[in-house]
Amino acid sequence: MSDEQATGSSDAALVAGEYVLGVLSAAERRAFEARMVREPALRTEVEYWEQRLGVLASELKPIDPPPEIWANIDTALTEKAARSGLWQNLAFWRWATVGSAAVAAASLLALGYTVHIPTPNAPLIAKLESTAGQPGFIAAIDSAGAGLTVVPAAATEVNQRVLQLWLIAPGDHPRSLGLIEPGRPIHINLPADLMQRVAAQATLAVSVEPPGGSPTGLPTGPVIASGKLTKL
Amino acid sequence: MPPANNWLPLWRVAGGDRGALRLLYRDTSAKLFAVCMRILRDEGEAEDVLQDVYITVWRRAGTFDPGRASPITWLVAIARNQSIDRLRSGAVAKRMQAIDEAPEVSDNAPIALAQLESSQERQRLMDCLGELEPRHAIAVRSAFLEGDAYDELARQMNIPLGTMKSWIRRSLLRLRACLER
Repeated sequence: MSDEQATGSSDAALVAGEYVLGVLSAAERRAFEARMVREPALRTEVEYWEQRLGVLASELKPIDPPPEIWANIDTALTEKAARSGLWQNLAFWRWATVGSAAVAAASLLALGYTVHIPTPNAPLIAKLESTAGQPGFIAAIDSAGAGLTVVPAAATEVNQRVLQLWLIAPGDHPRSLGLIEPGRPIHINLPADLMQRVAAQATLAVSVEPPGGSPTGLPTGPVIASGKLTKL
Repeated sequence: MPPANNWLPLWRVAGGDRGALRLLYRDTSAKLFAVCMRILRDEGEAEDVLQDVYITVWRRAGTFDPGRASPITWLVAIARNQSIDRLRSGAVAKRMQAIDEAPEVSDNAPIALAQLESSQERQRLMDCLGELEPRHAIAVRSAFLEGDAYDELARQMNIPLGTMKSWIRRSLLRLRACLER
């Protein structure tokens, strides 16, 4: 191949390589990132080069950053959490959960199920958000601690895949609570061995899995929403 | 931690576990700081970017997909992108430090998570880089590690901009063909 041919190629895959390599200007980088949003196939190209070229970073000798860096990160995250307004949040979600539990119960009743209706003062709730802060699901543990109602807060596209709900108790690996529906509320009876792990500070998370659920018993796909159980 | 589960720390971070982020930082920050330092060549700038990197990791851990990238590849990509963006912003003073003048090096061997891809994967890339013309391979390696744009690379290697673009693009095509053999 001549230099001329290589230079003349406007192949998007090639630009993905240039982007990962880091040779583009600031304006070219922003333009490519905007294009990547419109053309998801480019994301795959970028991931290809990140994985392949990434091994070059193993040449770099690790350098310990100064100890105050972690403290700065920790402080920044704490301030961010405080700014998001815990009180407003709690009040809003308390209201939302009561409403959603009723919706969940009603839709299950309509399907002919016998439902244990979660009490309005359910002790534990979690709002499962995407990392971008978008609401994903609301989960409420019923007052007896035996069941869990999960209500989608927004539409989720799953494209031939399924959503699996996981419980992660502090220090424990994720444990499956079963598959949930992207488009409607669902009530899950907690397996007896998991009931004791359901407590404040445990995390609920939803991952995208192949049909039938994770083949490994641990999450294999991306986590689309997660949140901690909180006492109301 | 078994390699097959090396994404679990990121998963816990995605669940909002600050302790998990602290452990991830302990295990990976020296590697990512080296990535930032090599690109920015300025301790203050690299420290700023490193902080932003872990705040981004905290926010975006849920988008990490273990089917598409290894955790360390994902982390290195975030550190490189943020360092390159900082470098391009022009806020970074002209870099005067020589390449190998780095501050103290960590004595602690990086643990499993911080280790990069398998040695086979590394060897494969090295073999393919070895098939390029030597100066082209140097340009590719230097571009990746230093994060320099085309014009800076061309200046450093004292060749016209158009020639540098053609070297890099041709090298990418050849690398891809070689890696997929």
